[in-house]
Amino acid sequence: MTAQIEMRDIQKHYGSFHALKGISLTIDKGSFVALVGPSGCGKSTLLRSIAGLETITSGTLQIAGKTMTGVPPRHRDIAMVFQSYALYPHMTVEENLTYSLRLHGVGKADARQKAAEVAATTGLTSLLGRYPRQLSGGQRQRVAMGRAIIRNPKAFLFDEPLSNLDASLRVQMRKEIRALHDRLGATSVYVTHDQIEAMTMADWVVVMRDGLIEQQGRPLDLYDKPVNRFVAGFIGSPAMNFLPGHIAETGNAVMLADGAGTLPLDRGLQPGREVIVGVRPEHLDVVGDAATFHLEIGVVESTGSATYLTSPDGNFQLVQSERTSLASGDRIGLRIDPTKIHLFDPQSGIAL
Amino acid sequence: MSRFFSGLRDGVGFDILLVGAALLFLLALAGAPLVYNVLMSFQQVDMFTLGALFRPFVGVDNYVAVVQQPEFWLVTRNTLVFVFGSMAGQFVLGFALALFFAQNFPGASTIRGLFLVSWVMPGLVVGGIWSFILAGDYGVLNVILKALGIIDANVFWKSDPNFSIWAVIIANIWLGLAFNMLLLSVGLAAISRDLYEAAELDGANAFQRFWTITMPMMRPTIGAVLSLGLIGTLQQFDLFPALTEGGPANTSNVAGYWSWQLSFQLYDFAKGATVSVMMFLLVLVASVVYVRSTRHEVRG
Repeated sequence: MTAQIEMRDIQKHYGSFHALKGISLTIDKGSFVALVGPSGCGKSTLLRSIAGLETITSGTLQIAGKTMTGVPPRHRDIAMVFQSYALYPHMTVEENLTYSLRLHGVGKADARQKAAEVAATTGLTSLLGRYPRQLSGGQRQRVAMGRAIIRNPKAFLFDEPLSNLDASLRVQMRKEIRALHDRLGATSVYVTHDQIEAMTMADWVVVMRDGLIEQQGRPLDLYDKPVNRFVAGFIGSPAMNFLPGHIAETGNAVMLADGAGTLPLDRGLQPGREVIVGVRPEHLDVVGDAATFHLEIGVVESTGSATYLTSPDGNFQLVQSERTSLASGDRIGLRIDPTKIHLFDPQSGIAL
Repeated sequence: MSRFFSGLRDGVGFDILLVGAALLFLLALAGAPLVYNVLMSFQQVDMFTLGALFRPFVGVDNYVAVVQQPEFWLVTRNTLVFVFGSMAGQFVLGFALALFFAQNFPGASTIRGLFLVSWVMPGLVVGGIWSFILAGDYGVLNVILKALGIIDANVFWKSDPNFSIWAVIIANIWLGLAFNMLLLSVGLAAISRDLYEAAELDGANAFQRFWTITMPMMRPTIGAVLSLGLIGTLQQFDLFPALTEGGPANTSNVAGYWSWQLSFQLYDFAKGATVSVMMFLLVLVASVVYVRSTRHEVRG
């Protein structure tokens, strides 16, 4: 794998606001990398810095081996799909698609030919003569994609491209974008606040918070081995449950606070140490006798395929794939596989 | 009476009342004078028939007489020079300023706000000030031009037949600049930044972005600004009495001012009305262009 985009210690200040606090990231050629994090974490700023729409304060950015300092966006040879799509309202779909080709002096016939090919790939063939205002949200999204594809750029940048679509279309476009990426063998950087999009689409997920990379890795590695409480809570839906407790005298179990129960561990830790226990809602089993801790049910929600049980204070949730006859007010016994228990330091939040 | 009040509540009737009031106002104060003016341009009007509505009908005699006036072609030429000179100056400078202030440097909006001063000032006052600036023997413009070495001798802007119309045009450009800049600024602000960023990534340089994004997106605004500019320039009156009174020898006289002179200085109301009907037709064409340009908005 060769690095297509290489970032070293990138800093970005907006006046007194420190948006990026030293980002180092290597994006391999042909990979699909998702930048994910809550609003204001700097993911969009980082993407716009790659595009050259923002100037980085310090650090180096290389695209295909060339340092991009002082290179304007139009000479970086990268395409971007905007959240708003940013289609040119005064141009037809075909003119939108061929805009960059026309700027680069490609002949009219060649441009038309290329537009027809791209339209066929993105399902726009019958819409070439329309204006953006005559298209639905999904169709506009496709035009924005087509406009990026037609240039065959060094990298594709996506800035929350699906956030303006309704839920079912979003799921469909997720697959289409990924399929397109695979077909083109392109390098893609995808910004989203939706961790499901990041998990399902990307080969490599970068979790950001407050201008820093919290953790990066393959999607399932982030799910299985979060390095801190923030990543643990951010990746996975519904979110991981956190319970305070301390290590038992034996060193291989956690006593939950308020006497809620005991969780056996698969590893040994210093007895008496304060910890935060992290358990994923989908890793809890409702059991009768073998229960190690108990929970009172506040709300029962069923989607048909799954049942969501929530504690009365709303802080604890579990998912059952079977239907249950449980009701609000019931007290249930729970058990969890010791290998699926996460432990975090209460102060630093770092995984133990 | 109760029906009237229920009409107030459910909106039926009351809305008609509101529309009716506005319509009545328009008919009484704009429609009726317009019709009366057109009617007058086909009548023989003198001091004896001034108070009558129905006067001797003379067909197109007034139109023929106006065209045969010795100053007609001079006034026509002046009007065209005045309209296109003023509009070009107002539009080009207004667009340049709008683009300049769209760069969002510190203080941009404050300084842009100050430009509105020219729009707030009455035309007569503006004319008076420019009359001082353009004065041949003591005017500050001549002082500056001489200091820069552009002219050797004083230019008598207001009384030199070669410059008199330009004296009014210069003042009119200043007067209309802020209005043009303001409308164009609003148009520029309505263009999404995303489009420029997308164009930049597509490979467009600043010049290409201006021609392929800004200009087409500004088309409706430009159409409106030019149409309103044409109407505003044709009806410009205040600057003429303040600066040149149309002189010397009609070299700075334009249709609007001429029409006023015919009606209210020579009391030849028929000819005055005739000139204004001719102008009205020109404005009508501009209005049609304006309405059509706003109908074809392509935003969004």
